[in-house]
Amino acid sequence: MQKIPLMLAKAGMILGRDVFRGDSPIGMPLCGKDTELTDSLIARFEHMDVKTIHVEGHPVWEEGEHSIDDLLRQLDVRFSKTLQEPLNAALYNIYKAYLTRSMGGDSDQHTK
Amino acid sequence: MTSTRSDLKKIIMDTKTLPTLPMVIQKLNSLSENDKSSVQEMAKIVASDQVISARILRLANSPSYGFYRVSTISNAMILLGVNVVKSLALSSSIFAIMEKDIVGLWEHSLGVGAAANLIARKLELPECEEIATAGLLHDIGKVIISIKCRDAEKEIIKLVRERQIYTMEAELEIIDTDHAEVGGWLAKCWFLPDKLGEPIAFHHDVAASKNHRIKTAVVHIADVLICASGLSNSGESFVPPIQEIAWDTLKLNERLLEELVDEIEDKLVEVKNFSLQMMAD
Repeated sequence: MQKIPLMLAKAGMILGRDVFRGDSPIGMPLCGKDTELTDSLIARFEHMDVKTIHVEGHPVWEEGEHSIDDLLRQLDVRFSKTLQEPLNAALYNIYKAYLTRSMGGDSDQHTK
Repeated sequence: MTSTRSDLKKIIMDTKTLPTLPMVIQKLNSLSENDKSSVQEMAKIVASDQVISARILRLANSPSYGFYRVSTISNAMILLGVNVVKSLALSSSIFAIMEKDIVGLWEHSLGVGAAANLIARKLELPECEEIATAGLLHDIGKVIISIKCRDAEKEIIKLVRERQIYTMEAELEIIDTDHAEVGGWLAKCWFLPDKLGEPIAFHHDVAASKNHRIKTAVVHIADVLICASGLSNSGESFVPPIQEIAWDTLKLNERLLEELVDEIEDKLVEVKNFSLQMMAD
């Protein structure tokens, strides 16, 4: 899931979370998660002062953002002292699968 | 090392310069231990602190509770429960003590608090709010070391970077104690209940926790998961080993761990935004 400014929202993206008026988590949601965005829905959010939304996958790439290769390299460094421990190795595999999935790739978790 | 451990304990715990908990918390603690005190009495104390009151009303009015327009502290206390209010009051005070320049530790603490809460709820443990507060406070010893021993802290950070070791190993080498023990001392100074003190003092040594091992185990696992996620504090970049005793105490398995990672990562987006907001303020 990725949080993006409403300006970068495009029709066809899927909401990853409920959307609230003016980004405030207080009150009734304007639109529920799993809804596919349309141009009119985006215009309505603009009108309601929504600034950011959460969308499924990773559809927008920003400057300075780490690529999946960078993220996996950092994960390797973080686990470099404890990968020989079975429980930490299991956690490493779970995180690796999570990162791959969250960046829009295929998870290899079940093939580990 | 220039001073012995007991000298250091004296310096660190010098009450004149030790951050104090606001009177509100202390009064709230003593009232909640007394069976005869009423919610109204407690609400009166909370209402005397505007920051804590505002936080409590904000939480009571949030959609997760489903009731809207709660405008009095006593209604909010009935709705949220005394324990939630106490935890909230304690956490807002801790934030006031933590300095903004240690953003890494901020994010890490917030993350561990949120993760501990999620783990406790998932495992259907009692006193989730207390466990979350213990998670939030688990590294409070680092804050004290940073306030009281600035030079030693610099050396610790340098040693961690140079030798690529865990913060705890560097702390032991430089100040002959570690942040968990210092946090334990502080918890005692503040008269915090053992259910908060033990997880703080033993989150790196779950086996040493005798009376509140489940809570300590949750905080330990939450700490490991947040380090694994990359929200580690002040230069430390290695994930600590998961202690088997914690894993067994909580009866964890890989499937549960996988679900927890998903839920925690989802929650961390909010934590990161929150700390970004704090930095901007």
